[in-house]
Amino acid sequence: MTENGVLVSARDLERDYSLSAGIVHAVRGVSLDVRKGEYVAIVGPSGCGKSTLLNLLGAIDEPSSGTLTIAGQRVSGLSDREATLFRLRNIGFVFQRFYLMPVLTAIENVELPMSEAGMEKSARRDRARELLAYVGLSERGHHRPTELSGGEQQRVAIARALANRPALLLADEPTGELDARTGAEVIALFERLNRDGTTIVVVTHDEDLAKAARRVVHMRDGVIVDERQR
Amino acid sequence: MILSLAWASLVRHRARTLLAVAGVAISAAMLLDMVMLASGMRVSFRSLLLAQGFQIRLAPRGTLPFDTDATIPGATAIMSQLKARRDVVAVSPVLGAQLHVERGAASVSAAALGTIASVQGDYKILTGRAPTIDGEAAANDALLSATVARLGDTLSVAAGFDPQLRAFTGQRTLRVVGRAHFIYLAAGERALALPLTSLQAMEGASRADRVSLIMVRLREGAAVEAARSAIDREIPVVSAISTATAIEQVEQRLSYFRQLAFILGSVSLAVGFLLVTTLVTVSVNERLGEIAVLRAIGVRRARIVEQILIEGSVIMLVGAVVGMGLGLITARYLNSILASFPGLPEAIHFFLFQPRDAWMALGLLAACGILAGIYPAWRGASLPIAGTLREEAVA
Amino acid sequence: MFLHFIPLLLAAQSIDSAPPHHAPRTVAIDERLARDAGLRLGDTLVLTPMPGGAGDTVIVAALVRRPRDPSEVARGAYRIRVHLDELQQLVGYGERVERFAIATRGSSGADSALRAIDASAFGFRAFSSREIAVESSTTFLVVSRFHRAIGVITIVASAVFLLCIMLLKVDERRRDVAALRLMGISSGTVVRGVVLESALIATCGSIAGVGLGALVSAFVNWHYQRVYRTPLTFSLVTGDIVVIAVGLSLGLGLAAGWLAAQRLVRQPPLSLFGR
Repeated sequence: MTENGVLVSARDLERDYSLSAGIVHAVRGVSLDVRKGEYVAIVGPSGCGKSTLLNLLGAIDEPSSGTLTIAGQRVSGLSDREATLFRLRNIGFVFQRFYLMPVLTAIENVELPMSEAGMEKSARRDRARELLAYVGLSERGHHRPTELSGGEQQRVAIARALANRPALLLADEPTGELDARTGAEVIALFERLNRDGTTIVVVTHDEDLAKAARRVVHMRDGVIVDERQR
Repeated sequence: MILSLAWASLVRHRARTLLAVAGVAISAAMLLDMVMLASGMRVSFRSLLLAQGFQIRLAPRGTLPFDTDATIPGATAIMSQLKARRDVVAVSPVLGAQLHVERGAASVSAAALGTIASVQGDYKILTGRAPTIDGEAAANDALLSATVARLGDTLSVAAGFDPQLRAFTGQRTLRVVGRAHFIYLAAGERALALPLTSLQAMEGASRADRVSLIMVRLREGAAVEAARSAIDREIPVVSAISTATAIEQVEQRLSYFRQLAFILGSVSLAVGFLLVTTLVTVSVNERLGEIAVLRAIGVRRARIVEQILIEGSVIMLVGAVVGMGLGLITARYLNSILASFPGLPEAIHFFLFQPRDAWMALGLLAACGILAGIYPAWRGASLPIAGTLREEAVA
Repeated sequence: MFLHFIPLLLAAQSIDSAPPHHAPRTVAIDERLARDAGLRLGDTLVLTPMPGGAGDTVIVAALVRRPRDPSEVARGAYRIRVHLDELQQLVGYGERVERFAIATRGSSGADSALRAIDASAFGFRAFSSREIAVESSTTFLVVSRFHRAIGVITIVASAVFLLCIMLLKVDERRRDVAALRLMGISSGTVVRGVVLESALIATCGSIAGVGLGALVSAFVNWHYQRVYRTPLTFSLVTGDIVVIAVGLSLGLGLAAGWLAAQRLVRQPPLSLFGR
């Protein structure tokens, strides 16, 4: 944890891509602080760099320049192995397309990060049940993803993201593939998670999801243009 | 968990997995067969030569045993010379000939071996006893059934035919005192054994004191090569051949099979490798998104590679085990083809199973499976996470 | 006359060192012996039936190239041709020979000669050259059967491999196929597309395979002709073989493509998307 309860501290983050048509500056000099327990939504038009920024915050992409500190640890510049371990212990990621392992059951999907973290089998099974109950899917643990609806899959994905008690939960368009009703269920879940103390940063086009956040950060052309507290 | 994931991935595409296992099984079968072929001849020939414990064979100079009709003169003197050596335990002379065995108005020909029963190493008595005196013979089942004879019956045999007199020469009546199995003869070949002096007498002056082959047994621990070389030097009318030399000579004649074994074995391994590489590559390409997500949630690259390698290795190992069984069946079939080489002793096998061969084939396949999967697995696990997720989303 | 059954020792000696029994007669030796022993036309040799025994002095009058006899291939024995009576005398064979070879007039001449000779009961039998050829070819028939068996196993293995790889490659594109089907493209069109693709691959593969086979065949001949020092042809790529090989590979390729495509189009498009 950094000073004044700041969990995430990004300074002058830049991310450039070299393409055949030229260099694309996806993120340009973004500085952002997220405090512990905050619920931040990053919004903006397509191609504004919000997903890129989220990937940088989640240490699944490396910034071209700038610094990033999460939970007091400098994340930018970590080796691949160190970044992977950091993600395992500190970050929970929720994707737009759920990305559950189709060959595993719901409960096995939730167990996956715990298994990687070396948790003992019975302990991780208990925690997985607990998480599935939290997201309202205690009866569906032994179903495969193809047997679950989109909303149910996303809830399993959220449970998986919480498996190792991460300091930070990141979500990239978590309601993007859901209808309004199931989307609302997921939004409610995020609100509940935040009330229970989880720090959340979401990237979204969904106005309802953005409204649920306590702080909304607007991006355009790779820079933050506006921030509002709710 | 990684094991469950690997197993579940294999089961997910059953048809593909089964076909891959079938492909590897065929590859493994071929590889096992070729490993067996590469060493089978040598091992079975060696066992055959050493079956009766004779380490050195003396043939007429410049020839291989029974390769020609040539004979060794002065057999008695040579045998005395050999027996005088301290390292020699037993000396067994053998004279080979073709005899005609009368069967009613016609006759059947049979291979005849003149031996000394107490030291012979050419046949095993199945029932009855070995022939020890003039007028006795031991016959094999092929001859007994061709002449409709049994133990105790007499056979009229002749050594040759005089065209002037138009009559058989060297005739004898022999009583069958034993039923024998001839170790070095081909299956179905008719044969009888009789005392050496009897056969020499039947063959006439041209075979007096002559033999086709002398087998020598050395005492335990004796230096075989030194003894062979000394005998070869001291007795100019013979070529002394050790088991090793005999095997080498035969192998040279049949080197084609060893080379074929090497080539086909290598091709099998290469094809198995190609199959597993293709399977792993396709499997990885299909799951790039899943792999990227695993990396995103914190699963190490090495663990992902491990999972993919386990999948490839399971296919390779299951295929290999199935292939071992298949290989034994095809080896039996292929051996039955090659066993019909004319004149090949029944005891010689081209395809001989030795556990060492199976382990070697399994080991090669296992190494192959791991190598085949490493590159595609590592490549898949090393793709940039964010970029891969974006591409998968677009796809 | 074939002399391989009689061990002869050759000793190259100068003409002065061994007193001749009679005026030296001539012999013909094979090329291989001449090369290995460093012998030339006009050289004097002593032929003895036993090492160190008395023998005859002869002069090398000709070098003979061996015929392309497969049964000789793996044998390292040398050959010399000697006048019949000299050899009979040298090895104490008397007036005996091992066989006669008889040339007859016309195709029916051989059959009638055979019958007449067999009826004479001289203690030997007459065989036609064809019968001898069949009998002495048994070894090669065995090898031929072995090759055929290996060939069949290879074809079965290739079929399985091909099917497996086609299945993998077609499976890789199942989402594309699903999208096409959902757009309204018929399964027949999809199958035809896949089969056409596999036909093209099979054709290219067949052409490459024929080329590779011809190269390997040339190499095999070069290698074994060197090893066994023989002009014999070990491997032959004939038109028939090419036709069979190409036909098989094309057929297997098409069948594999068709089967893989059929498997794909039989599944509902949505399931191909994983739903």
